[in-house]
Amino acid sequence: MKFLTDLILKMGTVDRRWIFLVIALVVIIPLFFPLGLPIRATATTQYVYDTIDALPHGSKVLVSCEYGPSTKPEIHPMVLSVMRHLFKNKHKVYVTCLWPDGQFLASDALNLVARDEYGLTYGEDYVLLGFRPGNEAVVKGIVSDLRKLYTIDAKGTKITEIPMMEGVNRFEDFDFLFSASAGYPGTIEWVQYAVDPTNVPMSTGTTSIQVNDVMPYVSAGQIQGILAGMPGAAEYEALIGVPGIGTSGMDAQSIAHLVIVLFIVLGNIGYFIERNRSKKY
Amino acid sequence: MLWKRQIPILIVAVIGSITLFGWFINEPNIKSFVDDDATQWFDILASFAIFLGGFNLLKMQLQKIFRRQRGWQYSIFAIAGFFLAITAGFFYKGNPDVAWGTHVTADGTLFKWIFTYMFAPLQATMFALLAFFVASASYRAFRIRNFEATLLLVSGIIIMIGRVPLGSFISSWFILYLLVLIGGITVNSFFKNKQYTAIFVIVGIIVVTAAGSSLGWPLDQPGILYLPYLQEWIYKYPNVAGARSIMMGIGMGIFATSIRYILGIEKSYIGE
Amino acid sequence: MNDRDFIIGAGGVTFSFLIYWFMGHPFFIIERIVMFIAIMTFTGTLLFFIRKARRGEEIFLREIPGLKAVEEAVGRSTEMGKPVLFVPGIMDMDQVETVAGVIVLGHVSKMTARYETTLNVPVSRAIVMKAAQDVCKESYLMEGRPDMFHEDMVHYLTDEQFAYAAGVNGIMVREKPAACMYMGKFYAESLILAETGNSIGAIQIAGTASQAQIPFFVTACDYTLIGEEFFAASAYLSQRPELIGGIKGQDMIKIIIIGMIIGGVVLRFLHDGGMIDFNILEFLTVR
Repeated sequence: MKFLTDLILKMGTVDRRWIFLVIALVVIIPLFFPLGLPIRATATTQYVYDTIDALPHGSKVLVSCEYGPSTKPEIHPMVLSVMRHLFKNKHKVYVTCLWPDGQFLASDALNLVARDEYGLTYGEDYVLLGFRPGNEAVVKGIVSDLRKLYTIDAKGTKITEIPMMEGVNRFEDFDFLFSASAGYPGTIEWVQYAVDPTNVPMSTGTTSIQVNDVMPYVSAGQIQGILAGMPGAAEYEALIGVPGIGTSGMDAQSIAHLVIVLFIVLGNIGYFIERNRSKKY
Repeated sequence: MLWKRQIPILIVAVIGSITLFGWFINEPNIKSFVDDDATQWFDILASFAIFLGGFNLLKMQLQKIFRRQRGWQYSIFAIAGFFLAITAGFFYKGNPDVAWGTHVTADGTLFKWIFTYMFAPLQATMFALLAFFVASASYRAFRIRNFEATLLLVSGIIIMIGRVPLGSFISSWFILYLLVLIGGITVNSFFKNKQYTAIFVIVGIIVVTAAGSSLGWPLDQPGILYLPYLQEWIYKYPNVAGARSIMMGIGMGIFATSIRYILGIEKSYIGE
Repeated sequence: MNDRDFIIGAGGVTFSFLIYWFMGHPFFIIERIVMFIAIMTFTGTLLFFIRKARRGEEIFLREIPGLKAVEEAVGRSTEMGKPVLFVPGIMDMDQVETVAGVIVLGHVSKMTARYETTLNVPVSRAIVMKAAQDVCKESYLMEGRPDMFHEDMVHYLTDEQFAYAAGVNGIMVREKPAACMYMGKFYAESLILAETGNSIGAIQIAGTASQAQIPFFVTACDYTLIGEEFFAASAYLSQRPELIGGIKGQDMIKIIIIGMIIGGVVLRFLHDGGMIDFNILEFLTVR
């Protein structure tokens, strides 16, 4: 018993690099040897799916990509899944970016899904409007006069020469907004400056850490559901039936979370042993 | 003195008042200023200010190299990276078929190559550090020191496990058994009597087993102890309540601080 | 401004507004009148308590351990002969948190000037660099130590979030500051900075209104200023009566808002029960 308690106490003072090594192993191994844990959609993810599914065919949907390479594992899978869902239901997709990095990733997503998977035509089925600097001023600009802000798209083509831009002059001309957001500017700016004044419905996908900030808006009904981080992305992939990076990452995330919880429990056991010993002496 | 004190305060007061009260005025010029121009003026200023930052960076790194200070070799990479980015952005496209401007995202350009093969992996690497730091911070910091710390710990564990697919596999009955054991520990710490503890634990296990057997061991019942349901409830109710109250407090702080700047009560931003 | 002038000024503004209102309030967006009244009420409350504090009334401000620890942290650095690292967030001066962070920097730089401790302020935005340089210069001048100030103590790293975090981490690991202060707006890099600071054994004080990052700072730092405490830092460190009065005014506004929430819940309950026609939600909704 003493050996066990001494071992636990020793683990409490272990160099943090051993913890890093264990975390690295529990993340890498499931990526090579997947467990195939089934994924169950939560209510908030289901709400996003149902909202998008209920859009009438041919709706004009604005997808806003505000994330970068650092948050790509969390947000990119949800963007791919939402785009697949939108294209499957034959909606017109307009992509804008409030972050400069977002334009690169949005372009990759559109090439993969719209061009390669669905064989759609740029300018008729989807368009990448691109990044404009200005943070919330861009959102306000889209609300008041989109054509003043976007005179050309990301490829340099004039907006007036793009067939699907006909009749699209401001934010209210869209039927739905999906914001894939990793921070500022992002979901909250869209709610405050675009969705609230115009009542255009909106859903969002954010990083796990941002869910805290955005959840009050979801609870208030200003946002129709939220895809929360990589679990949300994996759930959406399960709902549309096309597993991707989100699904493959969930095994690793599950095991990693479990290991962190075990570390916490061990740490607390060590803490109590230490406390009892110091009380004794 | 006038330029360094009164004029900056006047600029803050005037522009601040216009942007604040302009939201209530339906006059096209004021609306245009409040909605578009004010933020765009700042963006333009910040864009030109990048030169200041860039020159400062170059100056610091070049000084390090010329004075052969510790780690001066890394400054060579900093300066090389600086000029590589400028070259890729303004002087060399790499793909002659693409126009200037759109070359930053077009395939085949040097800029896109830098983004895909240097910037993106580096950014992802730094973000990935968080996974390790979260583990070491949790291991070090989450201790049951008092009631609030215990609450934080328990809710953290519920969210961490409930949020991932693994949580769906953990039966409510497992949680019930855990609660019986934790109850046993609590009884022991209160009464310090092994008999009482043993009776409590044994009776608890029997009751849970009997209840589970009679109901057929449903995975997600009782729902209150099923981790995915519990984590959803925590997200939607206590979490939102806490988030809203902190948000209101922060909003209040921002409002009060901004009013102090507009009214000239707070002047520390000009060094006073 | 004395009481008489203030009352005349406030009365004049109110009278002008009433004239404007009864003349048909041209251009005024009537749907936003509730917000306008709220802003005027809150501003009036703030000004009332600021003036009360200026008249010499004692206002109690509870102890904020994080702010008390700032001077201890600087003292610790002085004793150990190591620098103080101050990180004013990663956003620009258009964010109120960044301005609040630069204000705290002013106070910290006064202490470093007094104790002759090295101060290192890596920044992420060029405008913040200029503002921070001016604030530090002024602080060193006020402490009578202009010789100790040099512009390079505030230096620009990069705008890019994680490159900035990597740069600051590098500074921490190389220079091993004894005190690290994080005061401003942070995002995901907060834990990276705080954990690295923890690994070098520095005393860490953080202050932010970024909700999502507060838990990380609480976990990894010795002291954390949460939300409003961070905005109160300027009042607390300077002990200026008008700033302390402003904090008291904020607390009174909170009481007003709590009252409005309770009242709103009751009114909504009565409306939903069909007892009254008045819908408080419609009244309070601002478009």
